[in-house]
Order: sequence, then structure tokens, then C-alpha cells
Amino acid sequence: MRELIEHTEGINRLMARFGVKFGIYKNGEFHEQLFPFDAIPRVISREEFQKLEKGLIQRVDALNLFLNDIYGEKKIIKDQVVPEEFVFSSSGYLPECEGIKPPKGIYSHISGIDLVLGKDGKWYILEDNLRIPSGASYPMIAREICRRVSPSTFSSNPVVDNRNYAAMLKETMDWVNVGGIPVIMTPGRYNAAYFEHSYLAERTGSELATCSDLFVEDNQLFYRDYRDKKQKVGVIYRRISDEYLDPMTFLPESLIGIPNLMDVYRSGNVAIVNAPGNGVADDKGIYYFVPKMIRYYLDQEPILHNAPTYLPFYEEDRKYVLENLEKLVIKDVAEAGGYGVIFGSGLGKEKLSELRALIQKESRRFIAQEVIDFQDMEVCEGIDRVWRKADLRAFVLSGQTTRVWPSGLTRFSRNADSFVVNSSQGGGFKDTWVLSR
Amino acid sequence: MGIISIEKVDHLYWLGRYTERVYTTIRIFFHIYDKMIEQPEGIYAKYCERLNIPNIYTSNKQFVRSYLFGEENPDSVVSNMKRAYDNAVVLRDELSSNVLSYVQLALNTLESCGKTTAPLLELQQAVDYLLAFWGCADDYVEQEDCRNILKCGKYVERLDLCIRLDYHRKDLEKEYQKLINRLKKTSLCYNEENLNRLREIIFQEDGEKIHDQEALCCLGGLLS
Repeated sequence: MRELIEHTEGINRLMARFGVKFGIYKNGEFHEQLFPFDAIPRVISREEFQKLEKGLIQRVDALNLFLNDIYGEKKIIKDQVVPEEFVFSSSGYLPECEGIKPPKGIYSHISGIDLVLGKDGKWYILEDNLRIPSGASYPMIAREICRRVSPSTFSSNPVVDNRNYAAMLKETMDWVNVGGIPVIMTPGRYNAAYFEHSYLAERTGSELATCSDLFVEDNQLFYRDYRDKKQKVGVIYRRISDEYLDPMTFLPESLIGIPNLMDVYRSGNVAIVNAPGNGVADDKGIYYFVPKMIRYYLDQEPILHNAPTYLPFYEEDRKYVLENLEKLVIKDVAEAGGYGVIFGSGLGKEKLSELRALIQKESRRFIAQEVIDFQDMEVCEGIDRVWRKADLRAFVLSGQTTRVWPSGLTRFSRNADSFVVNSSQGGGFKDTWVLSR
Repeated sequence: MGIISIEKVDHLYWLGRYTERVYTTIRIFFHIYDKMIEQPEGIYAKYCERLNIPNIYTSNKQFVRSYLFGEENPDSVVSNMKRAYDNAVVLRDELSSNVLSYVQLALNTLESCGKTTAPLLELQQAVDYLLAFWGCADDYVEQEDCRNILKCGKYVERLDLCIRLDYHRKDLEKEYQKLINRLKKTSLCYNEENLNRLREIIFQEDGEKIHDQEALCCLGGLLS
């Protein structure tokens, strides 16, 4: 391990060579930044991973059942487990998806579940990402480089190989493919996660396509070849948001998207990975209800815990939140990527009272959580080692079966006092080792 | 998979052109730089005229910095390398990460060597990366059509530069032949009339001066 850590700079140099970057917009300009890698890995024991794996599979299975239900019979609403206000007022709920049965009944094929390890030794789920979670490519390529730099580290430690992510993704795509070529659709190179789009296309052998490469004809989706030949597309792993998928269904003013794609999807002539409309299940307000979903659909007790969460929508919770705002973290349900997260402890009197008023006025817009004192991780900073907050994004793939990728993206904050680990906010990443024994 | 979108064809072609532009101009630059040691100021003026780029330079020293590394100068070598990168980065699935990495390395080198005191020392490294890019492309780019389109771009650019820089007729014939060999192997649509006229100009009787403007015009309209 020491050898690996000594070569951190060299590993980062190789990452730069392979273009391991993410994009960010600052003052309206696009910048590509290297994603800083820290060679000290997060290590998860075999036993710990087995427990995590069970909990994650349970959670994602329940979320998939929830999505099937919400766009179908809505039994969970009828049985008053989840209030309809939380479903139908969610920006992620798409009435256009009502009644659509995605191929093989799978909505969330790739789920990115964000967790933290509390100081009490328990894992807490911070949020579910069921739309287009990104990040798996970074530990994949990092592992490839780390093995090259320090083979002895891997021959002397029983680390499960994580380079099978592309194979798992391909199997997932193949399982729902309705007949045709697999395509990864990117909004283009000025997207924050463009490296990942192109890397996964390379590794899965899928065509990397922009919207202009794809078109609908006779209710089928095709990829256009420069020789004017066309290839039928059977599965599309789209890396653009729902609202930009099809201007004929969603945003008519949008210049991107594939006109009439939703008709093709509705007819079962293409699989869309992940399915449109998933945003209703990873809404920060719906997060509160996931343990209830597990009990409702699976008749099981949740294995993994949510962070203690309050919904100001409920009077009792609102009262608690308003009285304890200073010690809670408030999240705007409409925001993502580390934005819209407010720590009550960091606000002055005036800002606190402004926030109280806002919560009272727009109670559905916010959730409040206890600040979890999660474990810091050791990070190299020059020649020193420092302790920083870190989370884990676990990737769960739902195809023929639901499987957890034996690794994950560990993101850490580079600022001493920050809980925000997102790359867009300056965070770095680590490899995540799952031990085989 | 044997399918290439129109957009990718465009990127492949321009990746070929820009990498060749950087490669050849650096090699030519080495000669100019050598001549600058003994010759008076302003030797670059003729070079600019031949390449049809504006002579915005005020001294030999400023020419070296701005023409090679001027990020604000659209005709600089580094600006052309950035355009090569812009075309390459959207082709990872066609080229492979290995091939793409040499474009990234060439760009990184050009960007960093502009900040050193002896930039030409490291410039050689950028040339080496570009050569490695071409070698690697031959080895790793699986689709023959992709390789051919990439090389069409390369040879169009090389022929263009050779004509502009008044290369010997034998060199032009050689580069023309390379271009034709690649072009015929692709399914690209090209202007047959332009191609024939270009051939007539290049292969005309010895002693006759090349009609360079007409040749450039034919070449420019070959694939548009």
C-alpha cells in the first residue's frame, strides 16, 4: 500500500494522459478539470460488503416496484403509504410516462446510491440517484492504473477486481435490448460527465451518439450512418435529462433530443436506460418514504438506514424543524450536485429567520436531516496526511437480477470543514476496495 | 460495428487535418528557427504569406512565442493542437483511450513547453507524441473506414501545406498518390472534377510552374 501511495502524483499524471476529467461551467464558460485522485483507498471488508449488498439490492428492488406502481396502479397511494401530494407535485413525476411498461419492467437499471459511514459504524443512505447517476468510470480507470503502478499492493491484498463494471453494464443493456444496436447517447462533449460517456461507450462496445445521429422512422429508432445506411437501435443508455429526451413530448423549444422517441418507447420498440420518469423516486421528499416502500412492497425490514429525516410538510415535523433549525441540514428537493444544501449551524440569526419563513411558506420544497457525524477518511495532501469527509456512491445494476458492483465511487471533500464532497464543488475521489476474504 | 455517423466522419477528417498541420508546421518551424539565428529580423514574413496567415508578429522572439504557444492567436500551433483535441475527444469510442491519450499528451506538452526557457527542446516531445498517435491509430483503430477517413484528412492537409510551401513537384506527386490511395478506399463523396484537375496540375510537364492557387482551390473543394 505504501508503494501505491508514494506514486499518487504519477497515478494522477496517467489519469491526465487518459483525459480523466469532468466539465464545469464557471461564469458561463466551460472548463475541463482533472478529477483529483487520492491513492489511499476506502476498504470495505467482505462481511460489511455482503450486508451492504443485501441492503442495496433490497432498496433498489423496492424503488423499481414503486416506479412500476406509480406509473401503473398506484396502490401505494391508494393504501395511503405515500401521500399523493409528494408524488404528483414532484418535478420528477412525468404524466407522459403513465401506463408505459418499460422492457422487462425495469425502470432503474443503473442506480447510484449515496451513503456515508457514521461514527457509530452504521452506513446511512443520503440519497438515491435513479436518473443518470455518474461516476463509475473513475474508480474503474483508477484501478487499472493503480494495478499498473503497484502490482504488489494488489498481489498482497485480496481486493475484488472492479474492472467488470463495463461488462455488468453491457449485460444489463443486453437484457432489456429489444433488438438492435446498443447506443450511449450523450448531449455532447460540453457535458460535465462527457469523459464517462465516451469511456463507457468504448468499454461496452456501444455506439456513442449525439441526438443528431439518431432519428425515428416508422415508430423505430435508428442510428444514421454517413453512407446513408441506418441501423436499428434496441437499447439507448441516455445520458441526458428526461426533459430533453423528446421535444415532441417534453420541451418543444428544446433544440436537442430525438423527436418522437417517446412514441417508440411507448410502443416497446426501444429500451431507455434509465427509464424516463424515474425522478419521482429519487426526489428528496420521496426519500423519506423509501423504508416504508420496502415494508410495503417486500414485507421486509429495511437493512440500511436513512439519515434521520423530517418533512416540514407534516405539522409535527415542521414544528421540530423550526425549533431545531440551527442543528439540522436543510435540503431543497429541487436541487442536486451538492447545491441547495444549507447547514443551519452556519447561518446567522437573520438568515435563520428568513429560512424559517421560507420553510413555513413552501413546506413541500424542503427536507431537514440530522447532521450525521460521519467518519472522516485519510487523504494525502502534499507530503502530509489529513482527515476529510467522504461519502460512497454505490452502483446497483438491475437486469436479469439486481447486482451491486463490488466497488464504488468514494468522493471526499478537499476542504477541512466541508461536508460537501461533489466534484463540481472541488472534491476528489478514491478507489473503493471490497475485500474478497 | 462498421457504422460511422456523419458527425464522426467530420471529426475524423478534421482530426487528421489538424494533427498533420501541427506535425508539419513544427517540423518546418525547426528550420525557420535555425535560420533566425543568423538572419535578420522578419524572416517569418514570407512564411506567413505562404501559409496565408496574418503577419501579426513584431520580432523574431515574439514570433516564436506567439506562433508556437499563443493561446489567443488562432493560427498558433497550440491553437491548432486544441482543435485537434476537440475533434479527438469526441471519438474515444472509435479511436480507443490509448490512441486518444497521445493527442492529450501532445496538447499537454505544447501547453507546458511554452512556459519553459528552452521551449524547442520539449517541442520535439510533442512531435514524438503525434507520431505515436499515428502509429497507435494504425494499430488500435479497428474500423478500416475510420483509419482511411483519418488519413484522408492527414494527406489533404499535407498536400495543402506542401503546395503552399512550394515543395518539389516529386514530393507533391508522392503526397497526391497517398491521398488518392486513401480516398478511394473510403465511401466519402468527393468532387471527381476537382480531383482530376488537381492531378493534371501536379503531374504536368516538368519545368512548368505549379498553379498553386488553382491546386489549393481544387483541394479545398475536394470533399466539401
